[in-house]
Amino acid sequence: MKSYNKDIYQLYKLGKISLNNTFNEVFINKNKETAESSIEKDESLDDIMNELRKLVGLSNVKKLVEEISAFIEIQEKRENEDLLTEPIVLHMVFKGNPGTGKTTVARLLGKIFKKMGVLDKGHLIEIERADIVGEYIGHTAIKVRQQVKRALGGILFIDEAYSLARGGDKDFGKEAIDALVKSMEDNKNNLILILAGYDREMELFLRTNPGLKSRFPIHVDFNDYTVAELVKIAKIMAQNREYKLTSGAIKKLEEILNNKSDTFNSGNARLVRNIIERSIRKQAVRLKKSNNITKDDLLYIRRIDIVKEDKY
Amino acid sequence: MKNALIIGQTNVGKTLFMINFASFLGFKKILLKISYKDGKLLNKEMSIEYAKKYLSSKDQYKTEHLQSIKLSIPVQKGKKEIKIYDSSGLTDGIHPDMKIRESILQTLAFLEDSDIIIHLIDISYFKSIKNGSISEIDKQLITYGKGKNGYILLANKTDLPESHLGIKYLKENFKDILIIPISALYKKGFEEVKKNVSIII
Repeated sequence: MKSYNKDIYQLYKLGKISLNNTFNEVFINKNKETAESSIEKDESLDDIMNELRKLVGLSNVKKLVEEISAFIEIQEKRENEDLLTEPIVLHMVFKGNPGTGKTTVARLLGKIFKKMGVLDKGHLIEIERADIVGEYIGHTAIKVRQQVKRALGGILFIDEAYSLARGGDKDFGKEAIDALVKSMEDNKNNLILILAGYDREMELFLRTNPGLKSRFPIHVDFNDYTVAELVKIAKIMAQNREYKLTSGAIKKLEEILNNKSDTFNSGNARLVRNIIERSIRKQAVRLKKSNNITKDDLLYIRRIDIVKEDKY
Repeated sequence: MKNALIIGQTNVGKTLFMINFASFLGFKKILLKISYKDGKLLNKEMSIEYAKKYLSSKDQYKTEHLQSIKLSIPVQKGKKEIKIYDSSGLTDGIHPDMKIRESILQTLAFLEDSDIIIHLIDISYFKSIKNGSISEIDKQLITYGKGKNGYILLANKTDLPESHLGIKYLKENFKDILIIPISALYKKGFEEVKKNVSIII
């Protein structure tokens, strides 16, 4: 703020602006401006909800978010009328394969909850086993506390959470779970915990820790994307980068995705992103060889650019 | 110790108010500290009579540098010290002289961190203004001061004719702030100023 004032003072000293403008800038508009700029930066709740609605597929997730937001709103209204309210417990378990949108949705949820006043900051802290499990006795609790402190006011997102229970009896993962549960209870008004991981492993993990399942009332399944959805995602990704897919390219993409569907990483948006990014590189190499490049050439990704896998 | 800044347009009597206020509080001599724009400091001890002659004048922009004196003001049973800064006057628009613009900037920079703002308005001035309004910078100072705890508006030059019109104008247009009519030259209304300053510090 001070350096900003200095600039204005300099302008006045040089006779570029009047004293009245200087005074306005420095003393009167100071508070107003900071307030205005923060409004500009903030998206409205509708904007964020629209962002969520725009995500391809994920119909069950969208339904859930609408449900939660309605629930929060009504609980608030009930509170205003002095009626009994349900405590808002929003800890969640996200189950699904990698690349099915878990992190993306978590990040949007943070923003939405901030807008609704459930969280102060609404940021997302993404951690994994190594961030909270210590190497020595007593080390774990400190690490957990550090991460929780970072996440206060936002969402603590633990990826591959089942790995916390993996090491057997002597592993500190269990200690981490205990410490997490305690922090959850301590900060229940200002922290949301999301455990994420593969469907099967998460089920097993929750079954071995009965206390956990009840503490995470919301379970969300992230289904694999269908081929049609993946193609839609590919189109959006290309569009965001100002590229277009020819119909040949789309067919090739479908072929690749159909062949993949029996393997483990089938319905995976990350796979699509890699294919698109690879195709952009392929297109660049292809165009470099030719002499006359038109705008259309630069725009379109063709069938030959789409490659399944690359080995160098 | 709290800092009080005397601020206002040029030639409203800021320096004279400072000296006479010191005299009103019983000081025979003042120790004046002048801070030049290049960072130099000058301490001068002078009698009240000499200070009036030496520091204030009927010309505009007599005070070119921020100058301060320490005063002790009775607060309840004891006394509290306060540093009063006298500043170079402000003027609307862009002043043609760069030196004076620098002086004005010194005043503004000081305004940012002063605890008490003593804002002087020359109320006899109204008759010379056609649309009967105070200057833009005075309005801005009032807007800024309204939100502050230590803000006092002094309506100076009550000794001049038609000053009552000025007071009436101020009271009508700025209802929610404290306005104290004074005459810096004849030390009128100073008791009220002392009372209010001692409440703030």
